[in-house]
Amino acid sequence: MQVTRRDFMKILGATGAGVAATSCGAKLDKTPIEEIIPYVVPEEDVVPGIATYYSSVCRECPAGCGLVVRTREGRAVKLEGNPNHPINKGSLCVRGQAGLQGLYNPDRIKGPHRKNEVGEWVSITWEEAQGLLVEKLKEVLAQGERQRVSFLTGNISGNLDSLIDSWLKIFRSENRIVYEPFSYESMKKAGEIVFGVEAVPTFHIENSDFLLSFGADFMETWLSPVQYAKGFAEMHRPKKEGGQGRQMGKFVQVEPRRSMTGANADLWVSVKPGTEPFFALGVLNEALLHLWKKEGGDARKAMLRSWLSYQGITTPKVAELTGVEEMTIKTIGREFASAKRPLAIGSGVAGSGTNATATWVAAYLLTAITGSMGKTVDWGRVQNVDRLTPFTQVVSWVERLKKGEVDVLLVHQANPAYTLPKSAGFSEALKKVPFVVSFSSFWDETTTQAHLVLPDHHPLESFGDYSPQTGIHGLYQPTMRPIFKTQPMGDTLLSVAAAFPSNPFKEGRYLDYLKSSWSALYPKGGQNGSLESFWQESLRKGGYWQETHSKEVSISNRLFTFKVKEPVLEGDGEYRLVVYPSVKFYEGRGANKPWLQEIPDPVTKVVWNSYVEIHPEVAEKLEVRHGSVVELRLGESSLKGPVLLNPWIQKETIAIPLGQGHEEYGRYAQGRGFNPLSILPLQVETVSGGFAWTSSRVRMAPTGERVLLVKTSGSIDDRNRDIAGLVSFEDLKAGSVHREEEEIQDKLLYDESWRHEKGIRWAMAIDSSSCTGCSACVAACYAENNVPIVGEQECAKGREMAWIRIETYEEPSTKGTHPVNVPMMCQQCGNAPCESVCPVYATYHNYEGLNIQVYNRCVGTRYCSNNCPYKVRRFNWFAYKFPDTFNLQLNPDVTVRDKGVMEKCTFCIQRIREVKDHAKDEGRLPRDGEIVPACAQTCPTNAIVFGDLNDPNSKVSRLSRSERGYHAIESINTKTAVTYLKKVHNGLRTA
Amino acid sequence: MAARIFALLSVTVFLSIALFLGCQKLGGSGPIQQPIAFSHKIHAGDNQIPCLYCHTYADRSQVAGIPAVETCMGCHKIVGLGKPEVQKVHDYWNKKEPIPWKRVHDLQDFVYFSHKRHVKAGVACENCHGQIAQMDVVEQVSSLKMGWCVTCHESRAKDKEQLTVLKDCATCHK
Repeated sequence: MQVTRRDFMKILGATGAGVAATSCGAKLDKTPIEEIIPYVVPEEDVVPGIATYYSSVCRECPAGCGLVVRTREGRAVKLEGNPNHPINKGSLCVRGQAGLQGLYNPDRIKGPHRKNEVGEWVSITWEEAQGLLVEKLKEVLAQGERQRVSFLTGNISGNLDSLIDSWLKIFRSENRIVYEPFSYESMKKAGEIVFGVEAVPTFHIENSDFLLSFGADFMETWLSPVQYAKGFAEMHRPKKEGGQGRQMGKFVQVEPRRSMTGANADLWVSVKPGTEPFFALGVLNEALLHLWKKEGGDARKAMLRSWLSYQGITTPKVAELTGVEEMTIKTIGREFASAKRPLAIGSGVAGSGTNATATWVAAYLLTAITGSMGKTVDWGRVQNVDRLTPFTQVVSWVERLKKGEVDVLLVHQANPAYTLPKSAGFSEALKKVPFVVSFSSFWDETTTQAHLVLPDHHPLESFGDYSPQTGIHGLYQPTMRPIFKTQPMGDTLLSVAAAFPSNPFKEGRYLDYLKSSWSALYPKGGQNGSLESFWQESLRKGGYWQETHSKEVSISNRLFTFKVKEPVLEGDGEYRLVVYPSVKFYEGRGANKPWLQEIPDPVTKVVWNSYVEIHPEVAEKLEVRHGSVVELRLGESSLKGPVLLNPWIQKETIAIPLGQGHEEYGRYAQGRGFNPLSILPLQVETVSGGFAWTSSRVRMAPTGERVLLVKTSGSIDDRNRDIAGLVSFEDLKAGSVHREEEEIQDKLLYDESWRHEKGIRWAMAIDSSSCTGCSACVAACYAENNVPIVGEQECAKGREMAWIRIETYEEPSTKGTHPVNVPMMCQQCGNAPCESVCPVYATYHNYEGLNIQVYNRCVGTRYCSNNCPYKVRRFNWFAYKFPDTFNLQLNPDVTVRDKGVMEKCTFCIQRIREVKDHAKDEGRLPRDGEIVPACAQTCPTNAIVFGDLNDPNSKVSRLSRSERGYHAIESINTKTAVTYLKKVHNGLRTA
Repeated sequence: MAARIFALLSVTVFLSIALFLGCQKLGGSGPIQQPIAFSHKIHAGDNQIPCLYCHTYADRSQVAGIPAVETCMGCHKIVGLGKPEVQKVHDYWNKKEPIPWKRVHDLQDFVYFSHKRHVKAGVACENCHGQIAQMDVVEQVSSLKMGWCVTCHESRAKDKEQLTVLKDCATCHK
């Protein structure tokens, strides 16, 4: 006999009654009783429920941007740029935003460890750990030899740097290596050759009107990417200046593979790798010719011309060498020379070959001959790269390690076992050092080979200073209590030093050392008040900035003896290998942060993996496709990786990003992708001695295998649906760009209820012309809105949870196509297709024009997502976990969504709420610009503007009325609150 | 058929017992046992200490705040010495440990509720928390459920416009 549905319901009803009868009254739904823990003594500057902000310094890369850290109840929950910092002026890049995942990373080393006799890691106390180090150092000292203790650090500048130098002297050693994988030797050397100044200057891209870059990825990793992206946005903005009509700078990028920076160029020139110096000299030659015609000849021009003919530079020859048309070289040369304040910058870090110095020589000369050196290049404010140990010295130091010349090696903020090419043999060298101490917070490739680990605090947990450029002294402070049993390296070094009679330090704690050193800056400040108030003020501001004075430079005679060499290429393969730094991972340090793994690469849109980029025609020839595994071979070494087709790469070139292929480094990085450094030969730049990243010819062969290589983008073509827009600057200038009113296909579907003429209508204006695609907004959104990560397999099913993504489309322009970035998030439609299909009223339109998603109402039908034309709604297919200790980062103002619930961008409603609450206390309405969503806050180029569309004077409504404005897929009458501004393409005049 | 119904009914009984036991574990009805037998009646009632003296954040933050042990000691260094419950406060203070109070009023995590906004709008503490000044042991008197919130929001709205705001989901759902 069957139980019918009716019977079943009856019994179920009885069950319910039974439960009610036996249950515990009104509080059936009561969740477990929580504890509510008060302070013993209340913190002075903390009010629970209200955020406290601390100034700090971003230490994710050597750029040294200023931070403001938002903390709630003693936890750092969000990083933002320090608006008063001279470098980043309030913005952060994608890596900076992800800094929190370094702090809360579950794979951090939780306390000191010692490797026992059988090679296992044993947790020990700090007393034991320091005792062990003291004991070893005493043994070394007793032997009486010098230079037996070596200290390897990253670029740390500031006072920790000087502390380490003094500390080493106790052990009669100056064996100090400051190692950064990107160390700019060729730039320094070119400065010396051209101007007699061996330094790396600061570039004022914002002052230039023509920027010519020979492969510098200045929006990604090069020197100070946020600063330079800001400068670029300013120079490349169509602006009205003093009655001359509209002005807009031009940007030309020359490189073998189109980088994210290159994708923002008005003209991207594809050259054969290693031939950039010849191209640069060719342009110099043309520019000189043009200037000669315009201004007449003089002695300096004549000397340079004869120098160029000494180099054998003629335009046809350069065209042949580089594979670029003569006309292009001529056009660039002429436009460069006729610009008012042109600026040329040389090769980037990783794209540079064995003759990269020559590129920089040509770049400096280009800027110098046009007379804009003082306006666009600042030699008074130089980068702190002078402390970096030149690559050749790093290599010879490794050789000394191999010979057993070092007894104790201490490593801090460096991971050469991963970042040095395998051919340097660092791992073998490490085996010859009897005692290796690591201060790392992570089990990286170097730390796992150490003998003692003394984990340092994360910078967000410690005091410190960092000086990235002349006169910029960043100061950071603990923003919260340390999560684990870590100890600041400064404290460890000072207490170890105290065990030796020759201890030069009077301070026992690093904070005291820092404070007394900081006082050295005080008299120069010329401020009133005590030393203590100067310290407090510096802590509050996040540092202390000094004015610098520009320095004149002139061409030195040394230049005329300089001869450009042909690039040296190792190997006999058919393909030149270009290894480039990743905007997400830098050289690899970001790979343990899952946000960075899951955010698509801005150019390739690949997640969680690395790849071999080849030209589609090459793929056809080799009969491989997306995801096919190829083997690259160079001499004895080889690597395997999946193919990614990239039409914007030279046919005889293959490109590989840095950053993946970690053998260690935690659960998110380990065993993912591959590391191109494993096959790179140990080639150096012939003039400067820097590492030559592009110096090999490799063989490539298909293996027949195919693997999953997940891309989040489906197409580079918006199929005329008006998602992306492009206009030319000429049209804009001529006034022939007009707001197009789209023909609405089906008006009948919606009534006019979207109209919010009264009160507020929150809206956004997004300028595609400013958006570089850097994805900082995406990371900011992950951090702000508790967006979970889902992993590679789920991304493959299109289940990534990002509330904002960067869509890149190739839009037709005068010559071929031009890439346009469209940050896509919930458009907060007036006529929202999602709202009308929700059966449970979980998504609706509120009185301020927001499309609200009520998680508790949502039953997960996913109708809304199916009906969303923008595909911005995200469904929680699983209960995504925030493993210990990532859960500590969760923003308490935003609900953590559960399984079966739809979610999407809210325009950061919690921020709207916070500002409204504050405004209400002051008896006013929120001011324009007071509410800043996380994406807009971090954007280095201010591409995103938020505000009230119903206020005719607000910035957002002024931008929304722009002639470049349009709504994405306007024709379907969704009446979106987001107005995009078409990208402006300022193409070069063809001759 | 009968066998099946019997089986389902046994499940019913089992579930009922399980839920009953579960509720016991969850605390169930009635007053919650606190680590110290603190009496609001003595403090807020008999001695008329204003609510905000201890719950200092109620008019400036989302949360009202639980007094720090230091706040307790402010009076109890002198007041009530020798009483066993006051001695407990001294013990926590001497150990420099916080008192692990049990939460009585617990809103769901997805709710944005600001004490400040309610206090500033002139809502008295008793409106939601009941006659605290007469309770020896605090109990939750209001359901703190959405319907209860909305009823009050509806009754307090001055006009249609304010009603829209006060009834908007996003006002409280975060």
